[in-house]
Amino acid sequence: MASSSRPHCLLNEPDRPYLALGLEGSANKLGAGVIRHELDGSSTVLSNFRHTYITPPGEGFQPKDTALHHREWALKVIPDCMQKAGISMHDLDCICYTKGPGMGAPLQSVALVARTLSLLYGKPLVGVNHCVGHIEMGREITGAKNPIVLYVSGGNTQVIAYSRQCYRIFGETLDIAVGNCLDRFARVINLSNDPSPGYNIEQEAKKGQRLVGLPYATKGMDVSLSGILTSIEALTYDKRYRADGLARGPDDTDIITPADLCFSLQETVFSMLVEITERAMAHVGSKEVLIVGGVGCNERLQEMMGIMAEERGGRVFATDERFCIDNGIMIAQAGLLAFRCGLTTPLAKSTCTQRFRTDQVPVLWRH
Amino acid sequence: MASVSLQLISFSEQISQGAEARIFKAQVTSDSKPVLLKHRFKKKYRHEALDATLTKARVAGEARTLLKCLKAGVHVPQILVVDASEGILGIEWIEGQCVRKLLPGGEEPEEGEVDPPSTGPQQSLDEYGLTIGKLMELIGAELAKLHKADIVHGDLTTSNMMLRHPSAFTSSTKQDVPTELVLIDFGLSFVSTLVEDKAVDLYVLERAFASTHPDSEPMFASVLQAYERALTAREWKAVKNRLDDVRLRGRKRSMVG
Repeated sequence: MASSSRPHCLLNEPDRPYLALGLEGSANKLGAGVIRHELDGSSTVLSNFRHTYITPPGEGFQPKDTALHHREWALKVIPDCMQKAGISMHDLDCICYTKGPGMGAPLQSVALVARTLSLLYGKPLVGVNHCVGHIEMGREITGAKNPIVLYVSGGNTQVIAYSRQCYRIFGETLDIAVGNCLDRFARVINLSNDPSPGYNIEQEAKKGQRLVGLPYATKGMDVSLSGILTSIEALTYDKRYRADGLARGPDDTDIITPADLCFSLQETVFSMLVEITERAMAHVGSKEVLIVGGVGCNERLQEMMGIMAEERGGRVFATDERFCIDNGIMIAQAGLLAFRCGLTTPLAKSTCTQRFRTDQVPVLWRH
Repeated sequence: MASVSLQLISFSEQISQGAEARIFKAQVTSDSKPVLLKHRFKKKYRHEALDATLTKARVAGEARTLLKCLKAGVHVPQILVVDASEGILGIEWIEGQCVRKLLPGGEEPEEGEVDPPSTGPQQSLDEYGLTIGKLMELIGAELAKLHKADIVHGDLTTSNMMLRHPSAFTSSTKQDVPTELVLIDFGLSFVSTLVEDKAVDLYVLERAFASTHPDSEPMFASVLQAYERALTAREWKAVKNRLDDVRLRGRKRSMVG
């Protein structure tokens, strides 16, 4: 898109209903969803199926095993999804898949499925940026018009604002993503990965009493999280730490429990995220904030963001786990928007990439 | 009984609310110069203990850095009041305009900003006797002074730079340009001798330029040129190399998820 003239919105009123299948598999969730864009401009979610690859406590998901999981479950998830939607593959306008960013092997296994379906049924392919998928679905579900977006997940932590056909990244993590930080700590204290490590941290944190001092690292609109992880891991070797969360006797009062650590970790990193979001809001003068991504369904984060937005006379938009956590429907939504602007991915270019920044996508469907 | 600085705020006019603090224009006596009060009010979303620690550290840190800047000859506002436990910092009121509003793309008002009636029509760069190029030189030179004093701003944006209005200068002061670039908001600043921190500082500004002012690449390039001129060749080479590294780091960031 290196043309000198400014691109403009290419999205027209739909002349007929449009249908898209979205396939997502950039991390440990395999998702499939069917969306319909109606004549009046609204969207209907016809079905939204997901299966998560869950590893034992203390273990993360390896690319190879995750790809294997996706390959097996595609055969169940996609037919289920089509059946629930009550349509046939022949009715689709396009098949959308996650082009990136994500883990290479899982991405490839899903892209292969998408390519196969595309050839079998003669449907065009649309490669979708995963982050843009989250943003578009969040906007569609919540009705937020032009929000500052906080995108927080296992692999991404970004503060994004839309401007001139591009989702610009205002702030992001300088090292690891916030979900990665939480998940890895969950592994350190052996929390279950079912339904997700982040969810279990959130539940554990509700029992936390004591705020333990951790580094607080905001750099302008960016954050740094790896030092916090190191620091909190070190606390599990502290002599005050009780892995079982129990005092050793009536005099044993100066203790740190796993719940305290979860609580402190959440309070600290979420404060940092809310702070950089507020900074971005002040910078562009926006009053809306939208939280997307897996960590976005954390209710404490939503609560903190809500208080911040209220203090600024704005409001927060958030979705629940169906749309926050990786899913196929968001890929279908973003893909169908692109398709209606005439953007498709020819078979020869239907690759995937582990590194695909949010600001690389021409957002032709917005003014 | 509220502290004296809190009382002063209650008599003052709120100018704006930034991300961190509310800004007030206070008048201690009727004929004194106005004072800018920056109140880091309690952030209710943050845990109280965390908030208190952060607020206190930031007010004290900001005051400390301003003092260091003043000693090093970097143009910053004077310090007048410090009340760390209440989160209040009082500094010199600067008559002028923030750089963001003087550059293309930066005109939209920030949230909560009440345009003071004295501003009248949109102030333009002409009023300050500057071109965009000259302004970029001023920025680069000021940043070089800052970094030579081993101070890292931590939140460089065009909103955090002001131009002093030419009317604030008496005719006796000899200046090659009729204004002065003043750096403000040292809330995230710290002292560091590391090239890394200085490079990140510049990178933060580069990103702020890119996200606020369309087609800002040549502008930022001339900031860097002026910065380079104020440094020794060795200093510049170190910062330049590190800046290239940091840029690459930012780009690579998009990973799994």
